[in-house]
Amino acid sequence: MKELPQKEGNLFKQLLKCYENKQYKKGLKGAEQILKKFPEHGETLALKGLFYNHLDKKEEAYDFVKKGLRHDLKSHICWHVFGLLYRSDKNYEEALKCYSQALKIDKENLQIMRDYSLLQIHTRNYDAFAETRLQLLEMRPQNRQFWIGLAIAYHMMGKPDLGVKILSVYEETLKDIPSKPDYEHSEMVLYHNSLIEETGDIQGALDHLDSIEQHVCDMKAVRERRAHYLLALDRKEEAEASYRTLLSHNPDNFAYFSGLHKSMGLGDSTEDQAKLLDVFKNLQETYPRSNAAKRLPLRYATGEAFVKIADEYLRNMLRKGVPSLFVNIKTLYADKEKEQAIENLALGYLAALDKSKGFDNSGATVEPPTAVLWTLYFLAQHFDYQRKTGQALEYINRAIQHTPTLVELHMTKGRILKHGGDLVGAKDAVNEARELDLQDRFINSKCTKYMLRADNMAEAEKTVVLFARADLADPLNDLVEMQGMWFSLECGESHLRQGQIGKALKRFHQVEKHFNDFTEDQFDFHMYCLRKMTLRAYISLLKLEDQLRSHPYFVRAAQNAVQCYVSMFDKPDGADSAEMEGMTEAEKKKFRNKQRKAELKAQKEAEEKKALVAQEITKKGGKVDEDPEGLKYLKTEDPLGEALKFLKPLQELAADRIETHLMGFEVYIRKNKLLLALKALLKSHKLDADNATLHEQLVRFALAVQKQQESIKPAVKSVIDQHWSSLYGSFKQSDLAGFTAAFLNKQNKGAVNGKEEEGSVPRLISAAIAVSLIDPAKNKAKAEEILFLMAQDDSKYAKTRSLENCLLARKTLKSLRSDRVQEFTAKAAVWFPKATAFQS
Amino acid sequence: MSPPPASDMNSTTASNDKLKSSAFRVGLGDVTPNNLGQLKRLNTVLFPVTYTVSFYKDVLEVGEFAKIIYFNDICVGGVCCRKEQTPGSTSSQDLYIATLGVLAPYRRLGLGSKLLDHILEHAQLPPTTGPKISKVYLHVQKHNKEALDFYEKRGFKAVEEFPNYYPQLEETGALKLEKVLLGDD
Repeated sequence: MKELPQKEGNLFKQLLKCYENKQYKKGLKGAEQILKKFPEHGETLALKGLFYNHLDKKEEAYDFVKKGLRHDLKSHICWHVFGLLYRSDKNYEEALKCYSQALKIDKENLQIMRDYSLLQIHTRNYDAFAETRLQLLEMRPQNRQFWIGLAIAYHMMGKPDLGVKILSVYEETLKDIPSKPDYEHSEMVLYHNSLIEETGDIQGALDHLDSIEQHVCDMKAVRERRAHYLLALDRKEEAEASYRTLLSHNPDNFAYFSGLHKSMGLGDSTEDQAKLLDVFKNLQETYPRSNAAKRLPLRYATGEAFVKIADEYLRNMLRKGVPSLFVNIKTLYADKEKEQAIENLALGYLAALDKSKGFDNSGATVEPPTAVLWTLYFLAQHFDYQRKTGQALEYINRAIQHTPTLVELHMTKGRILKHGGDLVGAKDAVNEARELDLQDRFINSKCTKYMLRADNMAEAEKTVVLFARADLADPLNDLVEMQGMWFSLECGESHLRQGQIGKALKRFHQVEKHFNDFTEDQFDFHMYCLRKMTLRAYISLLKLEDQLRSHPYFVRAAQNAVQCYVSMFDKPDGADSAEMEGMTEAEKKKFRNKQRKAELKAQKEAEEKKALVAQEITKKGGKVDEDPEGLKYLKTEDPLGEALKFLKPLQELAADRIETHLMGFEVYIRKNKLLLALKALLKSHKLDADNATLHEQLVRFALAVQKQQESIKPAVKSVIDQHWSSLYGSFKQSDLAGFTAAFLNKQNKGAVNGKEEEGSVPRLISAAIAVSLIDPAKNKAKAEEILFLMAQDDSKYAKTRSLENCLLARKTLKSLRSDRVQEFTAKAAVWFPKATAFQS
Repeated sequence: MSPPPASDMNSTTASNDKLKSSAFRVGLGDVTPNNLGQLKRLNTVLFPVTYTVSFYKDVLEVGEFAKIIYFNDICVGGVCCRKEQTPGSTSSQDLYIATLGVLAPYRRLGLGSKLLDHILEHAQLPPTTGPKISKVYLHVQKHNKEALDFYEKRGFKAVEEFPNYYPQLEETGALKLEKVLLGDD
């Protein structure tokens, strides 16, 4: 350490204060004052850099911090400052290195050690975190935070027993436990209790729970835990009593009902079912306002009993007019028998209402006119759920005629049309709903989404900003600022459909950035939660953060982004838009040239307009988007590498989804990484050996291996050979045609999942592609034949002949440059009379 | 100015009479820019005349003299009026009921009365601006017996006949009905 004279030494201490108090400008001045006399004082130089960092001068910041370090390599302050700088730039790896240097110089610096531990938990370096936490505790054993920090470290390492020990030792040292429940103490003992549970010692956890009850504030947690423990210990009667108490506090909590059900030990036998329904009947009487008590019996009842209960339930809800009734009911449709029973009931109501204004023709009651309305609405949703678009439309149109002012009806009409393939009609219907209630943000957002589905970007942007804050410079960007991911995703998917890869990628990267921000956001909680003792919430936060990227939004963004990058790799000249399906390369080139010219012209106009808009935005203090076209992403040299960046988190967190590995194959086979491609195939195979796309990929893999026969390294070849039979069975590499024939045969026999006579359209598509790949020159007619199987046998294929699958089948025909595209379109138009894609 | 149509009160369903009033909730609501779409939608299905943009602009300005009615929280009917200078007088105004109607399935439940009562009640209150209202009037298609009964039961009298009031409709004749309000003075 290079000593400063006393005057400057004091000034330096003040600088540290300035930093703590966030007085960065004042600090900067002070630092300059010292440097006037001692221009080479390393620690002051480093601090100056740190002040610059907080004044948004990154370059200067790094310059000065590095300079400071050069002048004083042995100063822990310089290293600490360097670490802070890296940390503020989220470069945790480098920051960790700096901290560890600092700690080598000053082994017992509490502040640095604490900061070090925050980074360790943030980067999930549990072992190192525990070590640091242990050191901290050894240095300051009187500090509660350090005891708890160590317990958490052991917990996260998967050693809850050690955590329990630490907390027990600590609690023994406590002399005066607050006699009244104290929040912080309460949270600590509850955390302690949850740790005991994690060790698997349920009896111990229950005993501990009894001993801490008097110190706990969160009594609900105690009651829930006790009931849960009693059930786990098979002390059924006590568990039942506990759950009944819980129900008296909240008779709408499904978990309490499920606990009660389990603690009564009732199974699936007819006898037990009757008993269970009796239990619910009593509960309904005790808690007449509980919806759960009325809804749950529908889950357990079967046969006649179900019909009776469902009848009563539906009548009540239709009379009351509960818009969410169908959403609530449709989960029961997993059981086909229940689905049919509900359909019969609802159709019966409608007939009776039409005739005598009652739910039955007994004449006992007259229902309000809204009863018929909600019944029609329910039936429309019911048939839409079954994708019977025609019937669904009939009922929804009747409902609209009955009461044209009800927003939900128009929205549902939109959904039905969407499912039927009429995206423009769908958008118009939902827009009508929106115009009925302009202050409903939900319907406004829905409408925006439907506009994007119809690829009407301009209309969508105009609609969505209706709810943006009026004073914003760039209201559309506000949706990004507010992390409105649904909008980014829908925009991105619309761009992708239109072949605008740059713009699409820009949107998908936005979603990725939001997730990065979520991860960053946890940083402050590492310290905060320990200080405030919100330990249970903290642990669940850590677990949530670890699973974050398995969220459907991230998965969707990642899948789309991978698709974009793969298509960039395949077609460096630009992606195909939907219009270009089935063109020859020469035609495509011509089409692209034409498009490019039009684009250039449009761009020129747009730029002039944009300049005006940009001016406006700058005037209002907003930030102008420098790259609205997403050119930055199009310029990448390594699209497959970029794709892998999106894929990695999925491989970790969404490994149980077959899409992850199917996508992985697409990337690896293009990178010609045969072993990784093989690994992806094996994972997919393990998840669902019958998956349709997998067959196509298997054929592609075999063809790739065949083609490179000579150049494949023997080691690689031997691994492939080793796994061959688990993927391809007894088929040799030379007999891919036989392999596909067997696949097709299997599906024709309907042996899939044991369902007789049921064909699968996705498998037809996959087989067609496979056949055409095996011998492109000869097999076109054969591939066509396979695809047209779906039109031959209605009863066999009707179920999987969805709109999406038909669009995919036609795309496949187009890519085969088949002459039978029109023939197929005509057939599909009969199956989907509303679908605009099939109308000539 | 486009001719105002008759109030549509025909075609009732008798069995609504049996419905107990405890089985449903009814409430009046203001017309606002946000729910104007519902009023437009109502008028489109209830009346054979298309109303102009300026008609709806005025509706937003008349306060209590434009209302919509909710049945079990669903908008099923509405009324729109405008104030007019009484011809030849500066000290009083007339209130003209341009539209008053309830969707067919919701008739015979007292909703039309509720709308009209509201209008009459407010017409008799001392005005916040302008002169007081001395008379409420409207036009009804000549052969719309239900509507004529409805208004006559509530003190309206036919005062004038216009044989060609609705030239674009099949039935062109209309009656002008009015109710003179008794002032306090």
